[in-house]
Amino acid sequence: MKEKIRGFIAETTFTDPEIILDNTMIFEDGIFDSMGLLGLINYLESEYGVVTEDVELQEENFGSVERIAAFVDRKIHQMN
Amino acid sequence: MNNRPNFSREIIQLQNIDEVVESICEKLRDDVFKRFRRQGAVIGVSGGIDSSVTLALAVKAFGADKILAVMLPETDSSPDSEALARQLTDKFKVKAIVENISGALDGFGCYSRRDEAVKRVIPEYNPAIDKMKVIIPKEFVGKNLPPVHYVAVVFADGTEKQARLPLNEYLQIVASSNFKQRSRASMLYYHAEALHYAVIGTPNKHEVQQGFFVKYGDGAADVMPIGNLFKTQVYQIARYLGVPDEIIKRPPTTDTYTAEQTQEEFFYQMPFEEMDLFWYGWEQGYSPDEVGSVMGKSADEVLKIYRNFERKKKTTDYLRTPPVHNYLN
Repeated sequence: MKEKIRGFIAETTFTDPEIILDNTMIFEDGIFDSMGLLGLINYLESEYGVVTEDVELQEENFGSVERIAAFVDRKIHQMN
Repeated sequence: MNNRPNFSREIIQLQNIDEVVESICEKLRDDVFKRFRRQGAVIGVSGGIDSSVTLALAVKAFGADKILAVMLPETDSSPDSEALARQLTDKFKVKAIVENISGALDGFGCYSRRDEAVKRVIPEYNPAIDKMKVIIPKEFVGKNLPPVHYVAVVFADGTEKQARLPLNEYLQIVASSNFKQRSRASMLYYHAEALHYAVIGTPNKHEVQQGFFVKYGDGAADVMPIGNLFKTQVYQIARYLGVPDEIIKRPPTTDTYTAEQTQEEFFYQMPFEEMDLFWYGWEQGYSPDEVGSVMGKSADEVLKIYRNFERKKKTTDYLRTPPVHNYLN
């Protein structure tokens, strides 16, 4: 899952995926902006069926590839 | 070590306001008359503080007889805007005309494209009777995530409903609303070309640096005399040049969507008096500790504000970049 998320971020931001490590802070480091966040929310919904609630829009859930993957994992478990 | 002053709440106040104004006016004359060889100035006036100060500076620089003020109302404009703009142009004895751009906007589908996107998110929205605006909820302030926009519909019965905007709907609402600023720019350039005048832009330092303007809309101008001034300084000059009190006291609004909203609510997320100081602190390299102790915030909170500024400046670089043309040497 991390690789797919990394691939999405790299593809939409024209960034070399090797630069985006699991713990790279994608917003703090300027890789992603607010358009990127909106695109990511769309992507998580279409790819994993994960609907992001307003209160879940936290750096803890979206700050890095590993945090996004953990968030998606948790949401999928909740759905099942 | 440098000799810069300690950070304080007064640090951005203009000390020699007469000299500052004279220096801006001299540069305006140099740029418009000598460099661009234009005979005068066209200014779009909204009744807001920025366009009012820009007009007052232009009057001082060129003389009232070399200025055309254009009011550019449309269906969603507040009626106060035109009345205040009229008060301004009367006070400075400037020729003023009204160009209603609603017909052009209808032709572009500005309103229908915007309303169609709003309805996809809030289907109960009836643009004939309800009002709408785009906001950033306060919960997003001070987070390390970029802000996410919401649409708020104020129904005819006074109730309000908010919903987070998905990417496509957000982009469609912004793109359609931007017809307003671009139509205004077209009209200003019509008059400027018909008179062989220059267009004087009205964005202030925050609008320019944080990208709170529409590329080729209100960002289209030949000169921007207040483009390097903090809002606090714009107000100082307004009082110095005698801009009417009603304009000085009016909270800065966007006057873009049908429901009323302040610029703080739409974009900046903090009062301009504070934003000016934080921006100055960030730009001049003052430590979050020093700025925080004056502003009553922790160093961590100031650091988050600094990061937000950095992010805004970086992500809006596109808006400030003119067309790239040097493809072949």
